[in-house]
Amino acid sequence: MGGFFSIFNEDLLVATIRLSTPITLAAVGATVCERAGIVNIAMEGIMIIGAFFAVVVAYYTGNPWLGLLGGVVAGALFSMIHAVATITFHLDHVVSGAVLNILSFGVVRYLMVIIYGHPGTTEPIAKGLAEYKFAVPLLSKIPVIGPAFFNQTPIVYLSFLTVIFFLIFLKKTKTGLHVRAAGEHPLALETIGVSVVKMRYLAVLVSGITSGLAGAYLSIENSVSFTEGMSNGRGFIALAANISGGWTAIGSWLASLFFGFADALQIRFQIFKVLPIPAEFFIIFPYVATVLVVAGLVRRSRPPKAVGMDFMIEREED
Amino acid sequence: MKKAKLKPIILAGVFLLGAVGLILYIVSLFYGLFFILAAVALYFLYRWLSTDKETVIVEIRKFLKNLTIPVIGISAAIVIGAIIMLISGYDPIKAYRALLYGGFVKNWHISILNATPLIFTGLSVAFAFKAGLFNIGAEGQYYVGAMVATFLGIYLGMPPIFTIPIIFLMSGLVAAAYNYFPALLKVKTGAHEVITTMMFAHIARYLSSVFIRWMGGDSAGTHPYVTNPILDANWLPRFKGLFPDTNYRLHTGILIGIAVAIFVNYILTKTKFGYEIRAVGHNPQAARAQGISIGKNIFRALLFAGFLAGLAGVNQVLGLDHKLFENLSAGYGWNGIAVALLAANNPIGVIFTAILWGALDAGGQYMARTVQISNSIVEIIKGIILFLIVARYIYSWVGNRIKRRKQLASEGAK
Amino acid sequence: MLKGFKTLVFILVVLLISTGMVFAGGAQEEAAGEGFIAAMATDVGGLGDKSFNDGSYQGLLDAQSDFGIEARVVESKQQTDYVPNLMGLAEDGAEVVFAVGFLMADAMIEAAQNAPDACFAGIDIWVDPSTAPDNVLGILFKEQESGYLAGVVAGLLTKQYASASTKLNDDNVVGMVLGMDIPPVERFQAGFYAGVKSVNPDCEVLSVVTGSFVDQAKGKEAALAMIEQGADFIFQIAGLTGIGAINAARESGILAIGVDVDQSGVAPATVLTSAVKGITSATYLTIKAVLDGEFVGGDNKVFGINEGATGLAPFHNFDSMVPAEVKAALEKAIADLKSGKIVAPATRAEAGYEG
Repeated sequence: MGGFFSIFNEDLLVATIRLSTPITLAAVGATVCERAGIVNIAMEGIMIIGAFFAVVVAYYTGNPWLGLLGGVVAGALFSMIHAVATITFHLDHVVSGAVLNILSFGVVRYLMVIIYGHPGTTEPIAKGLAEYKFAVPLLSKIPVIGPAFFNQTPIVYLSFLTVIFFLIFLKKTKTGLHVRAAGEHPLALETIGVSVVKMRYLAVLVSGITSGLAGAYLSIENSVSFTEGMSNGRGFIALAANISGGWTAIGSWLASLFFGFADALQIRFQIFKVLPIPAEFFIIFPYVATVLVVAGLVRRSRPPKAVGMDFMIEREED
Repeated sequence: MKKAKLKPIILAGVFLLGAVGLILYIVSLFYGLFFILAAVALYFLYRWLSTDKETVIVEIRKFLKNLTIPVIGISAAIVIGAIIMLISGYDPIKAYRALLYGGFVKNWHISILNATPLIFTGLSVAFAFKAGLFNIGAEGQYYVGAMVATFLGIYLGMPPIFTIPIIFLMSGLVAAAYNYFPALLKVKTGAHEVITTMMFAHIARYLSSVFIRWMGGDSAGTHPYVTNPILDANWLPRFKGLFPDTNYRLHTGILIGIAVAIFVNYILTKTKFGYEIRAVGHNPQAARAQGISIGKNIFRALLFAGFLAGLAGVNQVLGLDHKLFENLSAGYGWNGIAVALLAANNPIGVIFTAILWGALDAGGQYMARTVQISNSIVEIIKGIILFLIVARYIYSWVGNRIKRRKQLASEGAK
Repeated sequence: MLKGFKTLVFILVVLLISTGMVFAGGAQEEAAGEGFIAAMATDVGGLGDKSFNDGSYQGLLDAQSDFGIEARVVESKQQTDYVPNLMGLAEDGAEVVFAVGFLMADAMIEAAQNAPDACFAGIDIWVDPSTAPDNVLGILFKEQESGYLAGVVAGLLTKQYASASTKLNDDNVVGMVLGMDIPPVERFQAGFYAGVKSVNPDCEVLSVVTGSFVDQAKGKEAALAMIEQGADFIFQIAGLTGIGAINAARESGILAIGVDVDQSGVAPATVLTSAVKGITSATYLTIKAVLDGEFVGGDNKVFGINEGATGLAPFHNFDSMVPAEVKAALEKAIADLKSGKIVAPATRAEAGYEG
């Protein structure tokens, strides 16, 4: 075992990526969603649903790729409940999200008893996505960042692509512009003939897909089985990451990376017992660090103007 | 002249009948319900006397209109839940009977016990919402309140008439102080309270483990991951006298909860403080134009929200547990969010939604036990009920459509 | 006013519907069963924890198939549920009610005082013999003994006999992944540390607290961080979080030690053995005692190696891999624990472990 400073190596970076991937995915989804004006605190529940169905499909088909698809589709469908409730029926976004979180835990536990005969943890699937780990030729040889970014498992690559895609999507594409307008000036968007409702549905769908993907990452890539409550608050952390990232895809990613880094560091602090204090003080380190960083950095960011607001009401007021 | 004399009498009758009915119902005498109905009828009589006939008819109409949506919502939830149970091979009628019997009759005192902390956390979330802030970290302030209450409860040996108010006040204040940092960051740097209060909630949860070990009892084989019990004198009084033959652990916390809810309602509607909070929450720009300081009110709102959530912790420690456990998943903060929003952030409404929530929990346990049905079904049904209760939004959606169509038609006519 | 009024209306509707339903069926009668009923109430963790809740339930099911009794279970959701659940089970006619988890200690005493006809047994619960009613029994385990034996095996294999398997490396490091830092977890931890040090004083024993019993990703990360430091054994004491730790060991090609129950099934080529805790047999034996009229309450019963409740699970696939010397050392440690020649430490302080 090496000295304390031996922890600052490539593995720390790899661990950071592993820990931050689910948060990154959900946070980018949150960014798109909030940019379109919808607050989505149901991501925690969507993650659980995605994780569960990914394992169920992978378990019965024996194919983790189908599992991945299953998780994403389940997440997307579940997110549509949020979309219908908030956009069509003008339910308060937070109420709908809170209720969906409760519902997701009940549904998963119930289905688990029906499908597996017991709650808790599912039986392991035959083959997880981790076995499809592959190194990008040449790039993975770059010192320090090579192993972390270019020798990874499939969903980690997907998370990078997601960040890049939505970065371009929100900034450069016409649809992206419309999505942002739905959260900033919905009325203006409607006057140029684009449906705010459609854009908002699209945005919620995106958050459902990415959160479902995050769930699939937890269950069939990082692990090979599903455990109730395995998302352990990551959906909420993602919400925070999106806000600290100033409602941008790249910011969300950086904030998620930071949280993952602090968590990876915390574990290593425990191993080396850097201070003779209870372990809980190490566990809270990522949370404290996040608060400090948020306090220091996010001076200028501001939420989209119409976030959390009901479009119909707005129009009546105008 | 005669009418004016009659009015207070009738109003008193309404409250009397309502209260008697409620008590009768609570002690599982069903005809208490007729008293409540009579109270409602009397209320309309009172309205008739104080205004005129047409207004009353309009009001009754509105009453019935309000009635339809919850009825449809709840019936739909019941039907969907029944279908789920039938599919999985349970008898839905038996299950529902157990749910309701357990929640509202047999274990009504558990419902109240469950509801009490939710009233406090619900008020906390609702109050912050009134200022346009989302206190997602009420859970953390709950832990802080509980820790301070445990500490004071163990060491404060004075007559309870002094200690209990002191503990409530001090714990609430410390919990409020815990929210000082999120408030400060919000005002000074613009850091979103969702991030900061949530992070602080996680921090408080882990700190409580350290606290428990610090205050832990003798480690000789007992369970040291529970703090020492607080002094007997610092217990909240229980309703022993009212229900002498029972072993209910029902304590007076519920009365404090209701009183605080009324107090919060008073603050929000009747005081300048409350007015400013609401103004900031409703339209910050307009509030600033009126000379209301936004920063100051963010501070006030978050601190007061922290205070309220802290009281939930005090209530649990002094009233129920008399010590602090390694509390694996209390979830009072999270459930408080749902309770507050279900009540549309109305402090008085929070009392009722908290009781409904608590009753669903207690009834669900009873149902799980007697029917040997899985707890998860209760969670599902709870979710569906909650979704459909808010069906009133569906109603307003339809209403808006009709209104708009009319509007368009009239515009077209011009 | 109007908003409050609306809520009031809503509550009235709820009351009306509920009374309607209760009226329709008359007052619910208690579901009193026939024959012998053994029941348990879980703590807030619920079934599926692969630990004390599942273990107790298995004991109930075993007794059900062996003695033809009826087994009932209810999962608690919050602390306020404990007393009504325990009492309700007794009122429903259960002869013996298990309160599972140390959080239910006070609730069990209260329920027992109000339901004197039923026997109550608390898993992982210590009762005060001077004040406890006669119908309660506290059931505790010497987890440290299982941990100690696991430590002996790991301590020998990680260095001295590292040639026994390709999954072992030359570094003298072993690691533990903890869930939350609660008493049973600490007993396993302290025992494991003492066991390792008894055979391999120079060994580095690492441990990481994850703060959760359900977070697989956290467990995996904690294990990987220790593997990075050269650990070739991961002892998981983290419930379902530990599934992730075992998974990390599997992916990294090292060995893992399971906890509470025989976890060989989680990863047969990775889990060398498991530090078991005989909750199932303790539950089963308690039911048997009640059936035979031999239940003695008002005290605690500590299940240890002499009761067959603590120890190591079989090596399964690894049986041929484990050197005879290691097996001999293990046998000796078992004998010493049984005879009392060695007392495994129950706390970190006793073990002299700073972790």
